[in-house]
Amino acid sequence: MLDKNILNKVLDEALKKGGDFAEIYIEDKSTSNIFYDDNKIESINSGREKGAGIRVIKQGKTSYVHTNDLTAKGLLKAAAAAGRGAGPHAIFRPSIALHRNELNLEEELLSEQLSLADKIQHITAANEAARNYSREIRQVTITLGDVAQAIQIANSDGELIEDERSRVRMTVNAVAAQGNNVQTGFESAGGIGGWKLLQEVSLEDMALKAADLAVAMLAAPAAPAGRMPVVMSSSAGGTLIHEACGHGLEADLVQKGLSVYKDKQGQIVAAPGVNVIDDATIDGKYGSYKFDDEGIKAQRSILIENGVLCSYMYDRLTARKDGVKSTGNGRRESYQYKPVPRMSNTMIGPGHEDPEHIIKSTPHGLLVKKMGGGQVNTTNGDFVFEVQEAYVIEAGQIKSPVKGAILSGNGPEVLKNIDMIGRDLGFAIGTCGKDGQGVPVADAQPTMRITELTIGGRKMADGPHIKKIRRQ
Amino acid sequence: MNQDYMEKVAVMALEAGLGKKADVEIYLTVNRQLSIEVEKGSVDTLKEAEETGLGIRLIKDGSLGFAYTTDLSMSAVNKAVEDAFHMTVYTSSDHYNQLPSGPYEYQNMQLYDETIGSTPVGSKIELACRAETAARETDVRISIIERAGYEEVENTTLIMNSRGLYARERVNFGGLYIYLAAEDNGDAQTGFAVQMSKWFKDLNPQKVGQEAAEKAVGRLHARSISSAVLPCIMEPYVMTRFLNIISRMVNAEAVQKGKSLLAGKLGQKVAAGCMTLVDDATRTEGTACFPFDDEGVPVHCQPIISEGVLNSYLHNTYTAAREGINSTGNASRASFRSLPAVGSSNLVLLPGEKSTAALMDGINKGLYITEVMGMHTVNPISGDYSVGASGIMIEKGCLTFPVRGITIAGNIMDLLQSIDGVGSDMRFYGSRASASIRLKSINISG
Repeated sequence: MLDKNILNKVLDEALKKGGDFAEIYIEDKSTSNIFYDDNKIESINSGREKGAGIRVIKQGKTSYVHTNDLTAKGLLKAAAAAGRGAGPHAIFRPSIALHRNELNLEEELLSEQLSLADKIQHITAANEAARNYSREIRQVTITLGDVAQAIQIANSDGELIEDERSRVRMTVNAVAAQGNNVQTGFESAGGIGGWKLLQEVSLEDMALKAADLAVAMLAAPAAPAGRMPVVMSSSAGGTLIHEACGHGLEADLVQKGLSVYKDKQGQIVAAPGVNVIDDATIDGKYGSYKFDDEGIKAQRSILIENGVLCSYMYDRLTARKDGVKSTGNGRRESYQYKPVPRMSNTMIGPGHEDPEHIIKSTPHGLLVKKMGGGQVNTTNGDFVFEVQEAYVIEAGQIKSPVKGAILSGNGPEVLKNIDMIGRDLGFAIGTCGKDGQGVPVADAQPTMRITELTIGGRKMADGPHIKKIRRQ
Repeated sequence: MNQDYMEKVAVMALEAGLGKKADVEIYLTVNRQLSIEVEKGSVDTLKEAEETGLGIRLIKDGSLGFAYTTDLSMSAVNKAVEDAFHMTVYTSSDHYNQLPSGPYEYQNMQLYDETIGSTPVGSKIELACRAETAARETDVRISIIERAGYEEVENTTLIMNSRGLYARERVNFGGLYIYLAAEDNGDAQTGFAVQMSKWFKDLNPQKVGQEAAEKAVGRLHARSISSAVLPCIMEPYVMTRFLNIISRMVNAEAVQKGKSLLAGKLGQKVAAGCMTLVDDATRTEGTACFPFDDEGVPVHCQPIISEGVLNSYLHNTYTAAREGINSTGNASRASFRSLPAVGSSNLVLLPGEKSTAALMDGINKGLYITEVMGMHTVNPISGDYSVGASGIMIEKGCLTFPVRGITIAGNIMDLLQSIDGVGSDMRFYGSRASASIRLKSINISG
């Protein structure tokens, strides 16, 4: 990583033509991915990327320059380019000498934790397990990937952060078929902190679950249509909450007037007992970090407490506009992008009910155990989601599995219509896309009941605010 | 990065790979990008980027390894070669994994405009602001300029392989765009326009601003029409959106995996006789103009559909080897981070001779389609489409009132057969070009 003196020079160069804030973000990232399909390794890919992004903020406007040239000369050139967005009469205010030095180092390289040969052994074992599960299994696709990232962030307020991060991810997709009836089952898992994930989750178990789901869906009748109570099992994760409510609590969307939660602080926006939390500090979760991508310490933020809207999620720029402190949600995909407010691990907090009891006290409805992809209108929270795994509830009992269920509704309304909250909590992982940048996130929810949702319904028309959700 | 250094790194990587007694390919690119977004006459966001990267493809006894790096130090490059080689131990052997054999002679093309790099940023900002002004001056009903900006890209590519291939070229272009909205009496409609050009002097902010403004104003007070089956004319831009889907259907990767409707149809009539489609990287008006593809194979004008007959698919070296033919020069990579796949270059639907007026002549009742929405939802495997559309009604051969809120639906194969006229007004949008086309009929739901 770069020397303090060079970083200070670069920051001064960036501020030479004036500017309220300058920052340099340096990243050194190694990635490795295996894609296994049709009983063979389709591809293996590994890469190393190093680069720096320099931004200058002046009166709320951003100029951003990134480069792979990490020599002092290359960085000064990039800094000068970033600084020239400022006007001719600007006053040069030198950056503060870098002082704070946070250092976080990972102990072991990912490739030492799990070699390529080990990875392939896990994959082939999982492939066999899924294929041996049933004669109906026709195809199994498995991916395994990891990323190790070393970052250094320095800014004109004198802050300097150095951090090392790693995250891993695995997915299994199983396809089962009987004649023309083709069904799929999907499982994914991921976390930060390396391949210790394999001590908690086995790839073979994931493959068996995916195969089991695909086969079970072959015999499942079509889901019922109409409005009815829906019990969302904790195993469904919090994708719905992340997409249909979480984005509306990101400060940039609020400030642009694109959120239904604009001007709603202190107001009741959800049913009593509903807590919505964004927590980047949970150990090992896919959306966790020690510092955000602006060097702010990770936080646990209560966004909605007992139904009342408490806070939005901020990065530095949006926090400055609202005169508050950043909540540590400034994230970016890589050095090639400027940070924007993003979620980390977002969840509806657990309540007190026994999950079994929630199902028992539902005379008629749908139990959703696993969510698929969907669409969300980011300005008003209208959503349409496909459901991967669902069951009919009759007289408080879980009955047959059903396939092809589509949930449609409105995120903010769902929050108001939650009438039972379980004491469990289940996580799902994903890559969240916003402004063309993807960042790793997790989301979670307890088992909970929504008094009424529409099952069935059509996909939405396209528009500028319609976001496609793919959680695979 | 200076040229000598690029060559030095590539040679070093190639030699490291050759030490493994394998076939090796080095793909090295340097990209420079500038984007300026303006708002009400001043810069809102300025972004500048320079990116250098190296991808190494290594084939050992038919097994493939691939690694990339942006760090071009000797140790990082050697590590990438080691990584790629290590993978070949595990990947399965496929004897169609081959590299193209050089050396090749490449066409000399005019691809680089020095003035794009040498013009000061201030003048580029001004250009974007002029597009904004032009739009506002076109019509008082232009109420919001959502985004207006200037973009430029410069790319240098160097490809070398152990089969004697050496290819190197650079290209640049600039562009202007604007997204805006017009408002009148409670109705708001959006419009946009974009111009990409290899020659800086050809950038025309006046025209870009005016075109977007006219589009938005023209859509004001549009209304839906009831469901019908009508003849229609598609604007060149609309047809280029359909060419994107055709591009995926003639991709040999899709064909070989059984994911294309056009599989097994070579030599058959798949479109109306007035349709001729070529893939032509030698056309300088298109942004995909380049002397070689992403494996270093020289390009040419490749007929895809000739007078309605399917002539060829698009191939890279791998898909061509599987068929025992030559690559069509359509290897395509998203960046140095990925292996070459197959992709079209400039896809050009060749123009006919009729003016738009002549195409409309004789249409008693029809639709002139100026926009389609949701093309990404079209299923390229089945060819079924159902997309939102807007346009202008044609009555007795004349344009009458604006139409929106309708859906057009059908299958792309039927659409191709239904073409009964191609206009003379061919225009390029990026790497796609088409003239206005007339369709005998299309299903419209209101």
